[in-house]
Amino acid sequence: MATISQIQGSGLGLKRELIPQIQSLYGQQPLANINFVEIAPENWISAGSKATKQLDWIVERYPVVCHGLCLSLGGLSPLNGAFLQQVKTFLHQYQIPIYTEHLSYCTDGFKGEQGYLYDLLPIPFTEEAVHYVAQRIRQTQDILGQRIGVENASFYVAAPISEMSELEFINAVITEADCLLHLDINNIYVNSVNFGFDPHAFLHGIPGDRIIYSHMAGHYEQTPNLLVDTHGENVIDPVWALLEDAYQLFGTFPTLLERDNNIPPLLEIMHEINKIAAYQDKVERRFIASDQLAAMD
Amino acid sequence: MTTELPSFQRYQLAFTARLRDPHNQPSLAGVSGKRMAVYEEIVFNNLFESVSACFPVASKVLGKRKWLKLNQAFIRDYSASSPLFRKIPEQFLQFLNNTDPELQALLPPYLNSLCHYEWIELFVASSPDSAKPNDIEPEGDLGNSKPVFAPTMQLLNYDYAVHKISPQHKPKQPESTQLLVFLSADDQVKFIQLNPVTYRLISLLQNAPLTSIQALTLVAKELQHPQPESIIEFGLSILEDLQSQGVIIGTHY
Repeated sequence: MATISQIQGSGLGLKRELIPQIQSLYGQQPLANINFVEIAPENWISAGSKATKQLDWIVERYPVVCHGLCLSLGGLSPLNGAFLQQVKTFLHQYQIPIYTEHLSYCTDGFKGEQGYLYDLLPIPFTEEAVHYVAQRIRQTQDILGQRIGVENASFYVAAPISEMSELEFINAVITEADCLLHLDINNIYVNSVNFGFDPHAFLHGIPGDRIIYSHMAGHYEQTPNLLVDTHGENVIDPVWALLEDAYQLFGTFPTLLERDNNIPPLLEIMHEINKIAAYQDKVERRFIASDQLAAMD
Repeated sequence: MTTELPSFQRYQLAFTARLRDPHNQPSLAGVSGKRMAVYEEIVFNNLFESVSACFPVASKVLGKRKWLKLNQAFIRDYSASSPLFRKIPEQFLQFLNNTDPELQALLPPYLNSLCHYEWIELFVASSPDSAKPNDIEPEGDLGNSKPVFAPTMQLLNYDYAVHKISPQHKPKQPESTQLLVFLSADDQVKFIQLNPVTYRLISLLQNAPLTSIQALTLVAKELQHPQPESIIEFGLSILEDLQSQGVIIGTHY
């Protein structure tokens, strides 16, 4: 059970396979820097009694945030209202104060159904797409009765029809939807390599006061100019440098480590979580979006 | 219809059409084929892994090439309606049950039953934590009351001996097979093979307001058995056995 002001410091993207290790080391010093955990509602909604018992255990001990995968904010089919109601019930049931989603899409409305493709596909950066996505974010916020955060997604294909940069697109959507930013530091880096821009300049252009929390992760280098966002490797130095830059620019904000593939033992993952905490200790915390939300509570 | 869509949506449609059928749909103008291939791979592999993980026997029985082709047809032809990854195998099953006759003819006749059998394990494992009903007597009189089954218990009736199928043992003809599946108290999915009489008995007890002895008397009558008492005795011992295994969790008051 958490309130928004309890989402602080460094955290962990929760994978089910890590839970036994968390349970056996809970309360001990090596896990001290897990201050909150993140779950994907798609993995826990009606997941069965064993999963429910695990989630109950986690929620009693850690503040939890929700990061969705399949809402398809840029999708071609209508927003899945029934699913969004399930998410709303889930957030209430576990008193989860934050829900974020990706600036991407995973449905194409194939054969008049949703047509889920279960991956994060790139939205072309056009004016019409800004209005479309912003309207769907507003619709989501109306249904949930709370602001959501949207994450800058990683991608591999630039749409030739795009009319603006990714940065312009993100800023336009956030302004028009009046939502928060879920900043993925690794995705900035991945896209900067895949599309040849300066990640630090990008960072300087984001609306820092909208950051609700952030992600750190590793990626896979397929070729020197094509990085794939696998969350299956350690975080590389240029991404740490970006995080440090972001903290310098905006003050610290809650940050968690995502490790979804090729998962090492928890104590090894803790090295990177501890490193996030160490970067946060170096910089003074500033007023950020979560404080605004907390003030609204 | 498509022409009325804004340009970004027309682009998205061409993009996903290519993901659904990379071998036949045109590549996108101005888009690097190498980059597009990243999406073609991750989208397909993601679905393929989810499906294959649920159907280890079916995939082996079918063989690599056919299994791959079937999964390609799944993503090409099926419009998934659930945002939950866990439901991908269930949707694959729906796809299988609605495949066109041309594709169906290339598949073994037992495949759908086998896939259902493999899927039900996942389904039962993720059934909700249904609280036990309050009005049950855990140690009640099995014979003279109505048994209460574990909430996750399901009866399964297949035309093939699905639980015996393997690459070495592909059924050559149908073999009517009755099974029971349930989630044990320690969250393990368990299957029990039933004979047709036990299947009928459990089915009656689930669906009709009968005590065990009443249901067994009815079964004996249906069988035109000369000694109903022996059926009742035999049946009660089976129910006791099911109780000790946790399939029966008590009796109604």
